[in-house]
Amino acid sequence: MNLNFINKFLVVFLFLNFFCSYVCAENDIYLSLSGTGSRASIGLSEFVPKNGFFEEMNMSRDFKETLENDLILSRHFNVAVANSSYKFDLDSQFSYWSEKGVSVLLTGTISIIDQTKLIVDVKLYDIESQQLIWEDRYSGSANNYRYIAHRINDEVVKRFTGEEGVACSKIAFINNNTKFKEIYLVDYDGYNLRRLTKDNRLNVLPKWVPNSPQIIYTSYLYNNPDLFILDIAKNKRKALSTIQGLNSPTTFSPDRKTMVATLSRGVYPNLYLLDSSGVVIRRLTEGRYIDTSPSFSPSGKEIVFISDRAGYPQIYIMDIDGVNLRRLSTKGNCDSPMWSPKGDKIAFTMKYDGTFDIFLYDLPKQRIIRLTEGQGSNENPCWSQDGRFIAFSSTRSGKSEIYIMGMDGSGVRKLVDISGESFTPTWSYGL
Amino acid sequence: MKNYLVIAFLFLCLVVSSCAKKQTVAPEDEEYQDQVEQISDLDSALLEPEEFSKEPSLRGVEFEQKISLGTVYFSFDSSKIPDNVLRILKENVKYLKANPNLNVVVEGHCDERGTIEYNLALGQKRAVKVKEYYVQLGIAPNRIATISYGEEMPQDNRHNEAGWAKNRRAETKVIR
Repeated sequence: MNLNFINKFLVVFLFLNFFCSYVCAENDIYLSLSGTGSRASIGLSEFVPKNGFFEEMNMSRDFKETLENDLILSRHFNVAVANSSYKFDLDSQFSYWSEKGVSVLLTGTISIIDQTKLIVDVKLYDIESQQLIWEDRYSGSANNYRYIAHRINDEVVKRFTGEEGVACSKIAFINNNTKFKEIYLVDYDGYNLRRLTKDNRLNVLPKWVPNSPQIIYTSYLYNNPDLFILDIAKNKRKALSTIQGLNSPTTFSPDRKTMVATLSRGVYPNLYLLDSSGVVIRRLTEGRYIDTSPSFSPSGKEIVFISDRAGYPQIYIMDIDGVNLRRLSTKGNCDSPMWSPKGDKIAFTMKYDGTFDIFLYDLPKQRIIRLTEGQGSNENPCWSQDGRFIAFSSTRSGKSEIYIMGMDGSGVRKLVDISGESFTPTWSYGL
Repeated sequence: MKNYLVIAFLFLCLVVSSCAKKQTVAPEDEEYQDQVEQISDLDSALLEPEEFSKEPSLRGVEFEQKISLGTVYFSFDSSKIPDNVLRILKENVKYLKANPNLNVVVEGHCDERGTIEYNLALGQKRAVKVKEYYVQLGIAPNRIATISYGEEMPQDNRHNEAGWAKNRRAETKVIR
């Protein structure tokens, strides 16, 4: 853990150094987004096909489309693209983008080797000074070109904001189009949809394990609602907790050493602290009421959860040793709280005016912010790693589907078109 | 031969229980009511918690509805057993007492209106309430397993109160 921390620190430190060297460079190239929310304008040109092959020209178009979509979805930039009068020589490029009022240009070349290997040389220019800000070479399988575009997007985001982008992230969710409930996986931009479980059984409540290609979920595979962990990279799964009765839902601590799960153990569903192999360390709550839907704080010291001890389901926070319990919400029927990655907010579902909607609880300001309204039932909010987006399920189209919105409730988009109904999204982080 | 006997017995039970239902309407209700109050007031803490939480395993076994016992229905977002369904549970208890070798599972279900996570817990709470009632009426706790399906297995697919009312339920099924 210490090593990990030091590593991370080093990376940040080096990055800062790097960053500063640019910022303090002779021609004053400032890479920054203003704190008031105005966005940098970025010009995106088609990536030049290096050898002029037919495949390279197709790839150039697809690659640019993917990257353009990433930059737009990041909501960090105003993205400008070139029209047909665009010329590829660098001098005319600068004047072209300068006229468009763009401050930086993202461009590069594409080559395909042996029809399978893709090499992308990416360049980022400052328009005013005509200086090269950053260049790098990415290579990989041509089939996997979207991933290379995502990585370039995340690098650009990081250079501008210092934060990790989310273009390489994935979202898992439940869908019932097979008449059963199975887990599906899709890229954050709605591409590469695939089914992860083929059990013809009931699977519920997938939750991503932090910084790991694993999903923890509850399956009725052997009749009892048991806790399973699925490794996507290895395509393997194993049972984690198979105590008679309910084993769900679950949240992993940020360091992945412990988890909190709802277990019934023959009585009422209460919260338990388990080690990462599923062995009960201790019981956290006790009583003849429901305690469920736990979510760890980013510090790993507290959990937020739901209890009906007040007579109806409300949000509570307590320390991970089971003390210092306090209630957050005072009204409505609340569920599925999830602590934001930065720790200052809790997203949750609340039944208010008869329908379910997504709300935020602002911890420092101690107030509730409504994010969805008047568009069907909206449930199970789930943060992106950077805390800027929320995935959730909504029945606004007449059936339950997964949507993504900004953390202020704006810019709602449907994640993916898939038959059947979809529920309970969970967003990867640290992948 | 044995099979015939079992079927005959089941049939008899069915007849008896359906007859009983028809007969009961007014007169027995009061009597039940009193008993009910007493029983509901019993603190479950009187039961040894460890004893109570012992359940037969459901792993790898079947519990089909072939010999289904009576199903009870709940109010929205409630796990309180309504007084008017206690009669059904009593019939179930009679059946369990007459068949001491049978183990059962109580399945807790919810309607679609709650959230998925909470409903999973609510279904469990409903199942435990029914189990508690059975235990209070003298059924050994280790004969009764509990399971929750939350809102995942509706009995009625209508998205209205009539449909929801049928989905907020606890079913008692025999473990095979």
